[in-house]
Amino acid sequence: MKAIGKAEFSNFVDELIADDPREVIGVQAKSNKFAFDPLKSAEDLRLDYDVTILPPKKYFMPQRETLVKYNTNEGEMTAVNEVIPRIIFGIHPYDLIAIQQMDKVFEETHSDENYLAKRRESVLVGVNMKNASEWSFAHTMGTATTDSGYDLMLTDIGDKYAVEIGSVKGSELLEEAKSQLDDVGMEEIEKVREFKEELPDKFRDDPEFDPFELPRLLSEYYGKDGFWEENAEDCLSCGTCNLVCPTCYCFDVKDVNDITLTEGERLRTWDGCMLEAFAQVAGDENFREEKAARYRHRYMRKGRYMYNKFGDIACVGCGRCSEQCVPDIADPVDVFNQMKEGTNGI
Amino acid sequence: MESNDSLFLPEQARIIGERELTSNTKLFDLNFENGKELNHEPGQFVELSIAGIGEAPISVTSSPTRGTPSFELCVRAVGNVTNALHRMNVGETVGIRGPFGTGFPAEELKGHDLLFIAGGLGIAPLRSLINYVLDNRDDYNEINILYGCKKPCEQMFEDEVSNWARRQDIYHEATVDYCPDEVCWEGNVGVITELIPGVDIDLDETYAVVCGPPVMYKFVLQELEKKELPHDQIYLSLERRMKCGIGECGHCQINGAEEELYACQDGPVFNYERIKGFEEAI
Amino acid sequence: MKPESVKPKVAFFDFAGCEGDQLQVANMEEKILDLIEVVDVVNFREIMTERSEDYDIAFVEGSIATDHDAERLQGIRENASWVVALGSCAAIGGINSIRNSQPYDLVQDRVYGDDADKIEAWDVAKPIDAIVDVDGYVYGCPINQDEFVHVVESLLQGKDPNIPTYPVCVECKMNENVCVFARNPEKNAANIKAAVDNGSPAESGPFCLGPVTRAGCDSQCVNEGTTCWGCRGLVPNPNENAHQEVLEKYGLSVDEVINKFNLYFGWQQEELKNEQ
Ligand SMILES: Cc1cc2nc3c(=O)[nH]c(=O)nc-3n(C[C@H](O)[C@H](O)[C@H](O)COP(=O)(O)OP(=O)(O)OC[C@H]3O[C@@H](n4cnc5c(N)ncnc54)[C@H](O)[C@@H]3O)c2cc1C
Ligand code: SF4
Ligand code: SF4
Ligand code: SF4
Ligand code: SF4
Ligand code: FES
Repeated sequence: MKAIGKAEFSNFVDELIADDPREVIGVQAKSNKFAFDPLKSAEDLRLDYDVTILPPKKYFMPQRETLVKYNTNEGEMTAVNEVIPRIIFGIHPYDLIAIQQMDKVFEETHSDENYLAKRRESVLVGVNMKNASEWSFAHTMGTATTDSGYDLMLTDIGDKYAVEIGSVKGSELLEEAKSQLDDVGMEEIEKVREFKEELPDKFRDDPEFDPFELPRLLSEYYGKDGFWEENAEDCLSCGTCNLVCPTCYCFDVKDVNDITLTEGERLRTWDGCMLEAFAQVAGDENFREEKAARYRHRYMRKGRYMYNKFGDIACVGCGRCSEQCVPDIADPVDVFNQMKEGTNGI
Repeated sequence: MESNDSLFLPEQARIIGERELTSNTKLFDLNFENGKELNHEPGQFVELSIAGIGEAPISVTSSPTRGTPSFELCVRAVGNVTNALHRMNVGETVGIRGPFGTGFPAEELKGHDLLFIAGGLGIAPLRSLINYVLDNRDDYNEINILYGCKKPCEQMFEDEVSNWARRQDIYHEATVDYCPDEVCWEGNVGVITELIPGVDIDLDETYAVVCGPPVMYKFVLQELEKKELPHDQIYLSLERRMKCGIGECGHCQINGAEEELYACQDGPVFNYERIKGFEEAI
Repeated sequence: MKPESVKPKVAFFDFAGCEGDQLQVANMEEKILDLIEVVDVVNFREIMTERSEDYDIAFVEGSIATDHDAERLQGIRENASWVVALGSCAAIGGINSIRNSQPYDLVQDRVYGDDADKIEAWDVAKPIDAIVDVDGYVYGCPINQDEFVHVVESLLQGKDPNIPTYPVCVECKMNENVCVFARNPEKNAANIKAAVDNGSPAESGPFCLGPVTRAGCDSQCVNEGTTCWGCRGLVPNPNENAHQEVLEKYGLSVDEVINKFNLYFGWQQEELKNEQ
């Protein structure tokens, strides 16, 4: 562990913005909310944020991404992979854990270079949570802290940041701030420990379940009459709970041509299983026609599917879906609590 | 920037033959431009791609035992990609990714009696297995083929079908849901499930392999249930929306009470025992 | 590029509407030059004077509100191979259908004043597909240029355009906007509390019709800091009740909610009712 004074840290960030060829990203205020965006100045970096509107997955799996370019006259297709090397400041532990889950999906299925190359070319600078959104239940999900998934990890210990180094990439980045780094003593280590000890108090205290019960509870509730219908009744099928989720990665693929009809691109765009046409095929057959079926599907993905496949619970408790669902019905704590309490929904 | 290891770049294949099978279905014979072989198993599919239009999952209908290195796709024009393909001519090229998915267990079926049940376009994937089995006839026991269509003009692969009818070592029945008065039709009239009672089923030996439109499965399964055919001796090929074919995009996922499956990887061919509890499957 | 002789001929027509959509097309600048490479524009009042009755693709703007309109539209349908509704008035009845829910005399008075008796308009304004078959839709008030290009491109390639069936929220989230309902949490909380305590909100709350409105505009109004008025019409299966409850919860009165829904959804709501 190292430490860096806050003023020195700001200088370091400003120097990176000025001199590093990579794009420097950081959490910034977006009116009364927060978002990851390119940094113009270290002043704008808000390491005290609670949660961002979208998770940082947008840098590895962009909202719209060109996979293939083609020329219809020549019948030629070329694969493309737009990789912008980035340094990303301010990722909370739950998002780092979500990124590690995404890595598994894109590595272990088929080694998807469109995702993986963007990951390789990014440096992830995490930050321990100074503030938590009122919706977050990361502590319950065991994602309020992490020992892995970051290149560097910052903790605010007053006038300094404690810096933990998680990888070679991280220590290389730190090289550039070498002269400003302090060695840490017992005092700093103690402060980091205290910081983490106080974390649980920052989160809501209503979750009643243990994350590793979820696969079993979901299997029990899969066929429960009325349960999903009841919970999904006010669903607007707007996909918000998918799009804002750090572990959702479903996508659509479509061709977009320019009007001269000769050139075009095959795009992959974010999609969501809550959207009505997600499982629809030609001939108007829709395998999840009812909103209750789609609502259940999302929970199965979060609480069981990734667990069966990789041993991970795919809800990291960030609370984004809970907060951003307009009719306020997407809060996983609510649904998981109902299961735990044994409600049958009717 | 260009990329050399994309999962989404199709390989170019040239249309070397094209034949109309019904008013809206055509058979395409394709050859990779780089001369490679598709190396598919019966029941697998490819993602067929037309630049500017999109991609669609299509089963390979030819058997790996026939006509290689070219391979055949039997395509019904229902939407953007399939209609665009129908407008293309011999000599033009399309993109192919694949083969993808888990096909029929041709090895496991060896030494057993087989009951093929095909409805409509479901003959496309089944034909790959049927011809594979016929080309390895000695490895398999009795063969029964039931093939149903809406009406006589929708029956496909007539030459092959009439060959099944002639062969002594195949029990074959065809049916149509209805037959217009002016059309001459020698087969049965009625839905395909009506043919099942007439088949000799050996509960220890018979494996049923079923493929057809989504509505067909429920009724065929009910009939097989009446015959008490064990569930693990039934294989089904399921259709789902597919965007990637490689287990990423999430579109083809099917939820069950205990687990969830990806039709593009775990399927499209599934053992009925495995998916019977899946509310969303049938 | 297609040879001169096979370029499809395109014509534009307007009915009850503001011609704002044709303006959007006329304002396309370089894109219009590309368009002219692939089609021949034979009838376009915004930018040319010569007229022709020989065309393949007819873009029709405006809703239909008189017998005379309907006849003229039928004539266009007979001439054209493809009829495309351009803009929300033609596609969904649009803002003209606002009057569908109001007494007809009142509307006539308000709109035409003393000339009211001279106008023989129907008591409802209809989208063009209420009169003729329609091959394509460009939604929006006004239309989105990229989507217009996509629809033209699709028609020329013989494919169905890819028009979203999901709501504006999808694009809004991809653009990482602060949701209209999250812009003023203190006021919202006070409103919601007042509604629970006293049965009515303290003051009129925020509204956004994005959750029930068909996407495709890239959520442009929310991106610019305003709100979605629903100009692209309802999604195919809207959960209207749930969203009306949301709006009431955030502090809109029942009448206000109805008015918001009637601004663009007038005709579509009728249709939905008839289906049930
Ligand atoms: C494993 C598998 C094997 C198939 N084999 C054959 C075959 O051998 N012959 C044949 O004619 N058809 C087959 N189909 C069905 C065929 O994929 C669809 O008819 C086709 O995708 C329609 O595409 P389109 O662009 O023409 O239609 P559109 O309706 O324009 O489709 C738009 C998009 O929706 C998706 N989509 C629509 N319908 C389907 C569907 N039924 N399944 C999956 N995605 C869909 C596709 O991604 C498509 O690009 C198969 C489907 C699957 C899943
Ligand atoms: S965010 Fe809410 S309304 Fe939207 S799809 Fe999810 S559960 Fe339904
Ligand atoms: S399900 Fe909701 S709370 Fe869980 S990780 Fe996704 S967005 Fe966050
Ligand atoms: S469209 Fe409206 S309701 Fe939907 S996310 Fe955007 S601002 Fe919120
Ligand atoms: S945000 Fe709403 S009102 Fe604005 S253009 Fe889109 S659909 Fe129309
Ligand atoms: S088709 Fe994409 S996951 Fe199966």
